[in-house]
Amino acid sequence: MTLFHFGNCIALAYFPYFITYKCSGLSEYNAFWRCVQAGATYLFVQLCKMLFLATFFPTWEGGAGVYDFVGEFMKATVDLADLLGLHLVMSRNAGKGEYKIMVAAMGWATAELVMSRCLPLWVGARGIEFDWKYVQMSFDSNISLVHYIAMAAVVWMFTRYDLPKSFRLPVTVLLALCVYKAFLMELFVHVFLLGSWTVLLVKAVLTGAISLCSLFLFVTLVHSN
Amino acid sequence: MFEEASEVFENMFKSSFPLTFIVFIPAVLILVSPLPAEAAHEFTVYRMQQYDLQGQPYGTRNAILNTEARTMEAEVLSRRCVIMRLADFSYDKYQKALRQSAGAVVITLPKNMSAVPQDIVQQFMELEPEMLATETIVPVYFAVEDDELMSIYTQTQTSSSSQGSLSAAEVLLHTATANGFQMVTSGAQSKAVSDWTITSLEGRLAGAGGEDLPTIVLVAHYDSFGVAPWLSYGADSNGSGVSMLLELARLFSKLYTYKRTHAGYNLLFFLSGGGKFNYQGTKRWLEENLDHTDSSLLQDNVAFVLCLDTLGNGDSLHLHVSKPPKEGTPQYTLLKELETVISSQFPDTKFSMVHKKINLADDVLAWEHERFGIRRLPAFTLSHLPSHRLAQRSSIMDVRSVSPFSRHGAGEPPAGPHVDVSKLSRNTKVVAEALARVIYNLTEKGGPGDLQIFTEQMVQEEQLSAVVDWLTAQPRAAQLLDKDSSVVSTLEYHLTRYLKDVKRHYVKADKRDPEFVFYDQLKQTMNAYRVKPAIFDLLLAVCIASYLGLMYFTIQNFGLLYAFVRKITQPKTKAH
Repeated sequence: MTLFHFGNCIALAYFPYFITYKCSGLSEYNAFWRCVQAGATYLFVQLCKMLFLATFFPTWEGGAGVYDFVGEFMKATVDLADLLGLHLVMSRNAGKGEYKIMVAAMGWATAELVMSRCLPLWVGARGIEFDWKYVQMSFDSNISLVHYIAMAAVVWMFTRYDLPKSFRLPVTVLLALCVYKAFLMELFVHVFLLGSWTVLLVKAVLTGAISLCSLFLFVTLVHSN
Repeated sequence: MFEEASEVFENMFKSSFPLTFIVFIPAVLILVSPLPAEAAHEFTVYRMQQYDLQGQPYGTRNAILNTEARTMEAEVLSRRCVIMRLADFSYDKYQKALRQSAGAVVITLPKNMSAVPQDIVQQFMELEPEMLATETIVPVYFAVEDDELMSIYTQTQTSSSSQGSLSAAEVLLHTATANGFQMVTSGAQSKAVSDWTITSLEGRLAGAGGEDLPTIVLVAHYDSFGVAPWLSYGADSNGSGVSMLLELARLFSKLYTYKRTHAGYNLLFFLSGGGKFNYQGTKRWLEENLDHTDSSLLQDNVAFVLCLDTLGNGDSLHLHVSKPPKEGTPQYTLLKELETVISSQFPDTKFSMVHKKINLADDVLAWEHERFGIRRLPAFTLSHLPSHRLAQRSSIMDVRSVSPFSRHGAGEPPAGPHVDVSKLSRNTKVVAEALARVIYNLTEKGGPGDLQIFTEQMVQEEQLSAVVDWLTAQPRAAQLLDKDSSVVSTLEYHLTRYLKDVKRHYVKADKRDPEFVFYDQLKQTMNAYRVKPAIFDLLLAVCIASYLGLMYFTIQNFGLLYAFVRKITQPKTKAH
């Protein structure tokens, strides 16, 4: 469409990040550089993941429309590296739990936004052709911000030494859900043949549920001792 | 945040130069990256004719199209690309669109032309010359319908038709949901083709005995004409004439190889190019032969010139003359022989002579024989058409369209002009018999009228039909056939198989005062991009702004949620 449409999409994708950064008080901690470091870690982890995938997962030459369940599951398992990366970022930052989580998640999500959404938006949303998918992509980036905050929180909880025994199971389940969320979504789409707007809605609901659960756990954990 | 960022960037540039490259080169690359050509639909369009003949411009004068699509139902057509279907097409609508200063007109033709009703074909055929008669400023394109194009048409129609009587809110909702289409052609502006060469082909069979033998000239033009050059297949006009000429060449070359049947007439065969553009090929050929060279078959003792034009259909034959032949001349003999052959061997066929004087005031000559008539050569045209004005001679509807498998009887004949091979074969036989009777002087020798010189097998229907099939396999508009084209070289090959002294004659328009000028960009790729109106962008901006406001509000008050969650979980933790 036009540059204006591109502006719309960028605003929709980027402003929630900006608002979150401002309102969470990260700016008062002078956390910008730390967020950039987190972003760099994101890049490094993605590179490692890509190398790993390229080495051990040859492209599956299956028939069109056939869903390679096991292969996709294995590929999703590689996303466990994200957890390691987040942990790495958080372990290198000293500070309160919330601060660590927010820095890691913000840096991580922003790096993802810049790396995987800016270019398609620039190329696609500026073209003559109109497509809703760029607006959807922007919405999706909002969802992924929430997703990464929840994920960072769960990782933080998981790596705590003073995690009560009763928390171990729900945190692990949440962790698994975070990692395999993308895989689950793909499965949903494949089984129920969802439209693109429905997929976005399901994704939002799923992410909302996961983050609410982790919020409950977090609050309980932080204020229990 | 921005101050921090700028500080970071500053430090980065100061500390390391290569880092600047890493950051900036991709940024520059991204900024200058071209817009992608990912379109909703891409299809081939054929542009309407554009040519100048004797300084007079005809057809559309423009090729560039970049406007939004509308159908005729829309209230405002100005600067829009109007899409019309062939079934709904009429001259009134076309004129209305042009009067409302439409940006372009795209006419979609159904994929299966033979399924189009007769009256629509007839109507469109009559409109073609009218569309071309005057110059049109905006581009006019033709496209062949497919599913995607039909869906674009339907969507455009719904968005065009429902804009009249709606409330503001409905219009607003409409803009958000409905799709518009931006039609964009990929090519450049059309420009005149310089030094275009029209090729004509000549070949001969020399008669036996004596120096100063009379010459019979057989002429057919091989190019086709229609409202769009890339759609002009010209089956009946003049694929039929060309195939008949080739068949006659074959038959008489056989007769001329034997001493006993070698007649005392020279036969000169001429396939002229540019026939639809005032017979340019014939004109130059005559000039070359009569004005420039000393000895030519055309200069002395031409018995008559027989032009073959549109002979593939119908049950009547018309001999068009510009001057009724006098008794005792060879032309008169041919006329009589044609009458004899038709009355005695083909009684179902009607034969008549049509007399029309040459009108030099006309822009375009009516028939090819008039070119010869002007140069005082005895000539006439044989055609199944009673008049030169009939639209059949210049229509894109003139196609073969009967598939090779259903040629013999089975299958529906197409609604428009087409070639019926059995009738073409019959006409070929008539001409061959009459010519043979002339050159062997059979009537004076007392040969009976129903004497068949060529037996059933000699005029080969397969041969005729194969030639017509081949000729109609590609558009043969004069703008598309240069001297290297396969059509010309294959025709030349055909002639060399039967005839001697096959020569090419080239016509190039004069540089200063060109008689004809052709233009390029006749076939293009058109992209239909799905677009939304500008108001939609504003609407979206408002929606996004309110969404972001909501986000801001939510994040600001995240503490409330946090406190709420804490209140719920508090009793639980106490229980621990």
